[in-house]
Amino acid sequence: MEFWLELGRGPLFRLAFALMVLGLGRIVVLTLAGALEAWRRSPDRMVDWRQVVRRTAEWLIPVNRLWRRRPLYSTISLAFHIGLLAVPPFLAAHILLWERSTGLSWAALPQAAADGLTLAVIVSALLLVTGRLAGSTARAISRRQDYLWPLLLATPFASGYACSNLRLGPASYQALMLVHVYSGDLVMALIPFTKIAHCVLAPLSQLVTALAWKFPVGAGDRVAATLGYGDRPSWLEGARSAGPAPAAARSAQEVCAR
Amino acid sequence: MRTLTEAERRRAFASSRKPEIAARQRLPVRYHVEDFEVADRPRRFLQAMAAILKHTHYRLALDHYARVSAKCARCTAQCQIYLATGDPRDVPCYRSELLLSVYRRHFTLAGVLRGRLLGDPGLSDRQVQEMAESFYNCTACRRCWLECPMGIDHGLITHLGRYILSEIGIAPRALVVSTREQLAGATGNTSAIPVPALLDSLEFLSEEMEEAKGIEIPFPVDRQGARYLFLAPVSDFLMEADTLMGIAAVFRATGDSWTLGTGYYDAINYGLFYNDQVLEHVLRKIRREAERLGVEAIVIGECGHASRTAKQFYPTYCGGREALPVLNIMEYTHQAWKQGRLRLRADAISEPVTYHDPCNLARLGWIVEQPRELLRAFCARYVEMTPGGRENICCGGGGGTVSIDEIRPYRMLVGGRAKAEQIRATGARYCVAPCANCKKQLRELAEEYGLECEIVGLHDLLYKAIIFDRESEYGG
Repeated sequence: MEFWLELGRGPLFRLAFALMVLGLGRIVVLTLAGALEAWRRSPDRMVDWRQVVRRTAEWLIPVNRLWRRRPLYSTISLAFHIGLLAVPPFLAAHILLWERSTGLSWAALPQAAADGLTLAVIVSALLLVTGRLAGSTARAISRRQDYLWPLLLATPFASGYACSNLRLGPASYQALMLVHVYSGDLVMALIPFTKIAHCVLAPLSQLVTALAWKFPVGAGDRVAATLGYGDRPSWLEGARSAGPAPAAARSAQEVCAR
Repeated sequence: MRTLTEAERRRAFASSRKPEIAARQRLPVRYHVEDFEVADRPRRFLQAMAAILKHTHYRLALDHYARVSAKCARCTAQCQIYLATGDPRDVPCYRSELLLSVYRRHFTLAGVLRGRLLGDPGLSDRQVQEMAESFYNCTACRRCWLECPMGIDHGLITHLGRYILSEIGIAPRALVVSTREQLAGATGNTSAIPVPALLDSLEFLSEEMEEAKGIEIPFPVDRQGARYLFLAPVSDFLMEADTLMGIAAVFRATGDSWTLGTGYYDAINYGLFYNDQVLEHVLRKIRREAERLGVEAIVIGECGHASRTAKQFYPTYCGGREALPVLNIMEYTHQAWKQGRLRLRADAISEPVTYHDPCNLARLGWIVEQPRELLRAFCARYVEMTPGGRENICCGGGGGTVSIDEIRPYRMLVGGRAKAEQIRATGARYCVAPCANCKKQLRELAEEYGLECEIVGLHDLLYKAIIFDRESEYGG
């Protein structure tokens, strides 16, 4: 047991943490590079930066917009997010581990606040899943991962809370700590590859949208030419109905590869 | 808002298409589509999508949206279509997922690998059919975008989805036929109005105004070196005489030189609704006319999509930062009034007046306060609609759907229901809707719901309030 715990806390933690940081770094860099490319290829390079900043801030600091609609859901979701972001990096016990291995330390949350936020995460995760299951519309648009994520995210919180607040025997303490460590590692390793990547991508959404509406000059003509309709733009009579697929058209993979 | 009753639902979604055509085209949609190649459609859809992603920046957005989409369903509170139907397939996030899932499956490494491993055959004809239906149920009003914590612009996805579909031949006939006349027809405009007919109606309008106001109010045509080139949505010349007279009167009062061009006089650009190639080619026509006449700026009439396409994409396609400035006519009028070059008689309109924000003007906050300030200046009783401004509710005919006559029941019962209730609640006698598309849809709504409210343009009312300086010479 001790061996597995050390493995999860040591090498596996480092691996998961590195995966998270590098994975998130990779998609941020890719997104920014794509945005820069779009901006470069846009002939006017006119972007309403004020609008981009304003709309980004509106959701990052949700004091205004969040409450206007669906206030109950908003409250639950906000509690969930605050706990998720605040507790793991600022829990005194976690900081102690960092200090031991790297010598770095920073200010910790008061224990009572950390406990309160932890409970908030657990309760709100359950409520979010319940809400998803209860509403027929929410159910219709949900994927498996949409149900699993709140539960997976709440697992290290629930097990961590139990370890630090309940009177447990050594065996159950160790078992729960094992759950805590491994679920935490799993979450970190998965973040960059799933919707939780929004933790770093959401602030870039408004920028991406603003640039996506910047169309390159002549793109429409080039698309038609690539598809073999260079001389038959879509507005001509029968432009897309005549006979077999044009010779110049290639398979999707070929077009992508070029 | 209550959802549709079963009877309303049947009426709204009834199709007037002949079943044999729907079967032949394998397309159970409600809008008419010209015949096109049906065989091998999923593959051709993917080809078109690949070609579009290759030559444009849409991949940036698709990639981002596919990663962050959290399916939180907040957008349900904003979408008037969903609020009317209560159908999960009308949740903006569901609609976007139709295309995002194709992107994930066919255009990302993980999707391609997973598809191979699981033996997933990929895009099916059923999915293409569902997209053809779904993307034209959306009015592309982009109100959901305001409410999306992830910042997903579902309107952009609708735009892209329709673009891909149009490249394999699926687009509403109403839009395609108008565009054909505009880009390849003899008259070169969407309403097929020939130049002599245009000149006739302009002369007629001038005579009308002279009779009413006692002064000459001309529509200058082909004036080389005029300051402003004016383009109206061309349907205004058939249906919105009052708007045009108001605009001519404003120019007469300010004395600025302006002109219409007989080389090209249509601001309508359906490219925004279904195809980027159309978008660019229509704007190039405007550029040629502006260069021919040597104007300093382009003024677009009362029309939401025409104004947004020109404002947003004219610089893109027609010269970048050096492109001529583009104004909406309400910006021009507002500016002139602010500068004291246009005088308005206070309380010229005594009945209650309300203002409907066209999505394409208000959603980004471009034109929100200007018309309101003008209306307050000459209307005794101006009342607001709630919500309004950036958060306005779409008329229900946005995204080109208003031009598709065969889906009128859908526009009335689903798209426009929220708007009808909103207008009724204001108790206004006039509803100002400075957009050709909104006007048509709102008039149909007023008829359907028995609203005691006249739908007008801003300049229709303003015409009644302008104080002319009779001494001033026309010119400038």
